[in-house]
Amino acid sequence: MPFELTDQYTCADIGMLVSGTNINILFSDAAAGLTSIMVEPDNLEERKRFKVTLDADDVEGLFFNWLSEIIYFKDAERFFPKRCEFEYLDGNGKKLAATLHGDIADPERHILKTDVKAVTYYRFKVEKVDGLWKAEVVLDI
Amino acid sequence: MKRNKFIQITENIWEIPTDFKPGMRVPARVLSSGELIDGIDDRVIDQITNVACLPGIRRYALCMPDGHVGYGFPIGGVAAFSVDEGIISPGGIGFDINCGIRLLRTNLTYDEIKPKQEQLLDELFRTVPSGVGSSGYLKLNNDQFRQIMQQGVNWCRENGYAGYHDVEHIENRGCLENADASVVSKKAISRGINQMGTLGSGNHYLEVEIADPKNIYDKATARRFGINLDNQVMVSVHCGSRGFGHQIATDYLQVFDKYSKQYGLDVRDRELMSAPIKSEEGKRYFQAMACAANAAFVNRQLIVHGIRKAFRKIFSASEADLGIETVYDVAHNIAKFEEYEIDGRRETLLVHRKGATRSFGPGRAEIPEDYRDVGQPVIVGGSMESGSALLCGTTVADHETFGSSLHGAGRTMSRMKAKKIMRGDALQDKLRQKGILVKTGYIRGLAEEAGYAYKNIDMVVDAVDNIGISRKVARFYPILNIKG
Repeated sequence: MPFELTDQYTCADIGMLVSGTNINILFSDAAAGLTSIMVEPDNLEERKRFKVTLDADDVEGLFFNWLSEIIYFKDAERFFPKRCEFEYLDGNGKKLAATLHGDIADPERHILKTDVKAVTYYRFKVEKVDGLWKAEVVLDI
Repeated sequence: MKRNKFIQITENIWEIPTDFKPGMRVPARVLSSGELIDGIDDRVIDQITNVACLPGIRRYALCMPDGHVGYGFPIGGVAAFSVDEGIISPGGIGFDINCGIRLLRTNLTYDEIKPKQEQLLDELFRTVPSGVGSSGYLKLNNDQFRQIMQQGVNWCRENGYAGYHDVEHIENRGCLENADASVVSKKAISRGINQMGTLGSGNHYLEVEIADPKNIYDKATARRFGINLDNQVMVSVHCGSRGFGHQIATDYLQVFDKYSKQYGLDVRDRELMSAPIKSEEGKRYFQAMACAANAAFVNRQLIVHGIRKAFRKIFSASEADLGIETVYDVAHNIAKFEEYEIDGRRETLLVHRKGATRSFGPGRAEIPEDYRDVGQPVIVGGSMESGSALLCGTTVADHETFGSSLHGAGRTMSRMKAKKIMRGDALQDKLRQKGILVKTGYIRGLAEEAGYAYKNIDMVVDAVDNIGISRKVARFYPILNIKG
């Protein structure tokens, strides 16, 4: 399971646990997990793409910005990513350049689920433990 | 958790003294009924006592009877801060800035709408967009959106989307004055500009309800609030500032995170990131928050415009005949400067209400003139099975809770667990049998908002009535519900 959704942290919102053997997998699976809360991913197609470049002081900041960017695209472009292609994601997790391939929301083709308002700092954590990247995040619904 | 340290002040007020946790500057007070105190999560106690540690906090950190776990502040949290020494915190307001409830009255009765209620539900579902990725009926340009941010509902009035009484019957007359569009990011504007007039999702709803005469507790006040017919049709709308407000909260949480690191501020919970009210960062966040609050007032007003259109179409009646008027509109995620008596002298404080409603009593100048001698309407949202409640503000709230009261029933069960108990379509059928027709764009998510996922609204309403911070006026039962 690339990501796990959990209700153990708050009763009104959704927690997400993600892990990956490298940082690209962590970021990519977290994007998939977040998207799966908002839309049924199986029906998404790769019809549109957006470039994303982000930087931050540390890997936690970059991860926060990355998920916030996906939430931004949901509202500003009505866009959901199906696949993330990383052009650059440094090992320290301070810079990222990627292309999001995905679809524009269409109630005829998609099962639109629940809006995610924001990424929160509640229990927010990104760390590398014994060579495995792990993240814990609570998303505001 | 050391619950034996809790001191019962009155039947419904429990105090957590400052020696409960190192760093508490004031006691915390949890408002509850005896039965409900045991049900309050340890994490809520942890969060409200963290709030009690914040600089410049006055008197108490308060948690309303519908309190449950949030981020930073619990939902149902109220705290007031000194302007000179205190802070402003996005975690004390919430991501959905000015999430609130609008209550409308009509000239219609249940018998009159019953034959057409299915059509009405379908038409409301069409006129009021809901769910993920929905856009509003207005195509706004950047200039218009800037005006919305700064003028609030006055913009709706000037452009034909609001009447005089709408504006008069909205908290702050639908406009926070300190709004400054120059401190709002382009991202926030891009997220919100197409969403004005939309409901959103999660626990947001539009509900048609009935004022059964046996559920009117105070007939004189109810009449004052426009409830004057047996089985009168009421409409309530629960939503906020949509992606615009969510982005402003996200932007400033990051600004404050950096600020806290730069100034070495000790914050127990990263979601309690804050800045002094008088700092440049604090001032800018307040101005941006005011923009989001104004956009939320406009969002609910544009929804009301859609509701009026839908009723006109289905009942082929004029606006005057339908009499769809705003009873009141309350903000329950907001921070505002208000004056209170502290240690014998008047002091201006920044009151944070996160999942809490202002509950001003009679005489306050902030209350519309036609309600001023009775107090402010306090609108409490329930689940789609229970309907909502209408209360009235009191002067007790001024003294006890910085003029605040509860905002809803209070969630007790996670969304994931609620969905495991019953399928969405089964819940829809069950509600239909009870006379409640529900429509949603995502049927599998319906059970997230089932009645069993919330506290009993009557118990929490009785608790605030007993404490005296609001008094009961009426309860409405639901007949039509659009779940966002």
